[in-house]
Amino acid sequence: MSTITLGHGSGGRQSREIVDILLDSFRRRGIGPEMEDAALLPGGFAMTTDGFTVSPRKFPGGDIGHLCVCGCVNDLAVRGAAPEFLGLGLIIEEGFPSGELLEYMESAAATCSELGMTLAAGDTKVVPSGAVDGVYFTGSAFGRIRRTLPLQMSNLRPEDVLIVTTSIGRHGAAIAAARFNLSVEGLLSDCAPLWPSLEPLLLLDGLRCMRDCTRGGLGTVLCEWAETTGLHLSIEEMRIPIDFSVRSVCDVLGFDPLYMACEGCAVIATAPSCAQEVIDTLRKSPLCGDAAIIGRITEGEPGGMVSMRTLIGGERLVDMPFGELLPRIC
Amino acid sequence: MKSEGLPEKMSFDPAGAAKALQNIAPKSLSVMEVCGTHTVSIFRSGIRSLLPPGYRLVSGPGCPVCVTDQGEIDTALSLLETGAVLTAYGDMFRVPGASGSLSSKRGEGLDARVATSAMDALLLAEQKPDREVVFLAVGFETTAPATAAMILEARRRKIRNLSVLSFHKRTPPALELLASDQDLSLSGFLLPGHVSVILGHEPFRFLAEEKGIPAVIAGFEPDQILSGLIDLALQQRKGIAKLHSVYGRAVRPEGNPKAREIMDEVFENRSASWRGIGEIPSSGLALREEFAAFDAEKKFSLKPLPGKPHPGCRCGEILTGRITPPECPLFRTHCTPVSPVGPCMVSGEGTCGAYFRFFKTTGGIA
Repeated sequence: MSTITLGHGSGGRQSREIVDILLDSFRRRGIGPEMEDAALLPGGFAMTTDGFTVSPRKFPGGDIGHLCVCGCVNDLAVRGAAPEFLGLGLIIEEGFPSGELLEYMESAAATCSELGMTLAAGDTKVVPSGAVDGVYFTGSAFGRIRRTLPLQMSNLRPEDVLIVTTSIGRHGAAIAAARFNLSVEGLLSDCAPLWPSLEPLLLLDGLRCMRDCTRGGLGTVLCEWAETTGLHLSIEEMRIPIDFSVRSVCDVLGFDPLYMACEGCAVIATAPSCAQEVIDTLRKSPLCGDAAIIGRITEGEPGGMVSMRTLIGGERLVDMPFGELLPRIC
Repeated sequence: MKSEGLPEKMSFDPAGAAKALQNIAPKSLSVMEVCGTHTVSIFRSGIRSLLPPGYRLVSGPGCPVCVTDQGEIDTALSLLETGAVLTAYGDMFRVPGASGSLSSKRGEGLDARVATSAMDALLLAEQKPDREVVFLAVGFETTAPATAAMILEARRRKIRNLSVLSFHKRTPPALELLASDQDLSLSGFLLPGHVSVILGHEPFRFLAEEKGIPAVIAGFEPDQILSGLIDLALQQRKGIAKLHSVYGRAVRPEGNPKAREIMDEVFENRSASWRGIGEIPSSGLALREEFAAFDAEKKFSLKPLPGKPHPGCRCGEILTGRITPPECPLFRTHCTPVSPVGPCMVSGEGTCGAYFRFFKTTGGIA
């Protein structure tokens, strides 16, 4: 790798490779992070940080301000932490309309307010015209962990049940439709905070691990789990909730819904004994009415890989996506 | 159309279809699916895992990215170096030429842009009258009419800073070559639905009538593909060779005469170089003389560059069904979707890419 390509930013296998290379200096000194959505810190705190370059900045179902808060909150939520404080950094292109910027601040503030979050820190930079495209947001979130047993990939066990909290791929499909000028009735990004929807699940001892499916979608998260644990993950296409509008966009543009980005959907692994309780609890939340069991973890072969039983009863592998799917999705 | 007697809702039983296949022709079947969209649908839906042993599905040269010759990519890259804006379908961006790819050239600051249609180039040319805009036109009879329509519209609007680098290819001459190949011993062709929407039945009749190979035009859903395979198996059992269509809802026997008319107005046949196969007479489409102003080859005095593919790359044998991707020594070792050596690994519809993504030879998933 001599230069960075858009493929390195796609959220798939190349993103993982570049992150490993970038972290090397820290890891060699023994001060690198875990590869989870948010860090669990000493003292019962959790933190995360995330950048937002989405194009278009306003999309059906949200805008870059709302997305920034949701993205940060969801990283904390899937690790069992309540979001409390937000840090916000803006990199603004010279000439950017201030009215539009204020709209994004308004929607970020409204989302924070709903969640009881406080803006604790921030930074503003303006760069010459052409140095960035419009405005980029960077968010950090900080909060308290609400669970004693940490939620992490090392908890995953054979027989664990895999659950998605809502229908997949809506953010990616909404952005793709906007980008390619497709008008699709009823298609909205799923961009939404997963907190407090996930909060009641933290009481369940059998809850193993949760991940926020963002860039790279459900398929990428499952592949990461399989590759990290060496276990086999088996899912059933028929059980995966996918909206008709998402299928339509994917069909037209040649995308696979499994890899379409989500911004308000988590994948959950749980012990079989509490799978039904997870589903019942989730379905009480307005955002998780489509929550569904989609498969399970097995000791079967091939280890370290994900397979899917297809709609017609065939079997195929699900691998991580390669290259640039759709740049600037979030 | 007679609807009497048909059930309200047709139910489809894939396991039953797979069993039917086994009962019809229990020994073996060797079918080439010509189109890349078929290849991907077959993998995505897991059809291979349902087929009886002894059934072979061979992927043919139907992925437009894969058959674009390396020399053609190099010609496009050389054009980019002149400072022109080049628009191309997204799949083309990572195909390696001798000195890089559109993607790597874009990374170096040259102006290559992803287009979802030929018209994107026309609109861009209007927006940027001070730049030369070139559309890299690839694909079969499915995308060629759109390129032709765009050129006609550009002439109507008197746009002068727009041209097309036409590497369009024609399906029937390639099929003729494959059907004549004794080594392949195919028992049937699954013919591309989209191309047939344009061409109709006629250009494919020779496969059955002259070459004696059964052929079925099919759509891209799994039920269509399985229906096509059952039809081919039945023909084999009966010892007949006919051209059938199971895609009547989309393909008219006469095709789409209007689209062909536009194509004929703008293009004429020429010899074309197919990656890994070589030169096939009258298998390419060049702009007619009266559209020379829109012909990038003439406008920029481009000379066709000879392709110099990687010495170990066996894409040519894969494209003609002689070997499967795991038999290529570069597959999964030197050639992966992240750093593809050959075009069959680059494209979303390429045979090697599909094998890599969906197919694990060890581990029981077929």
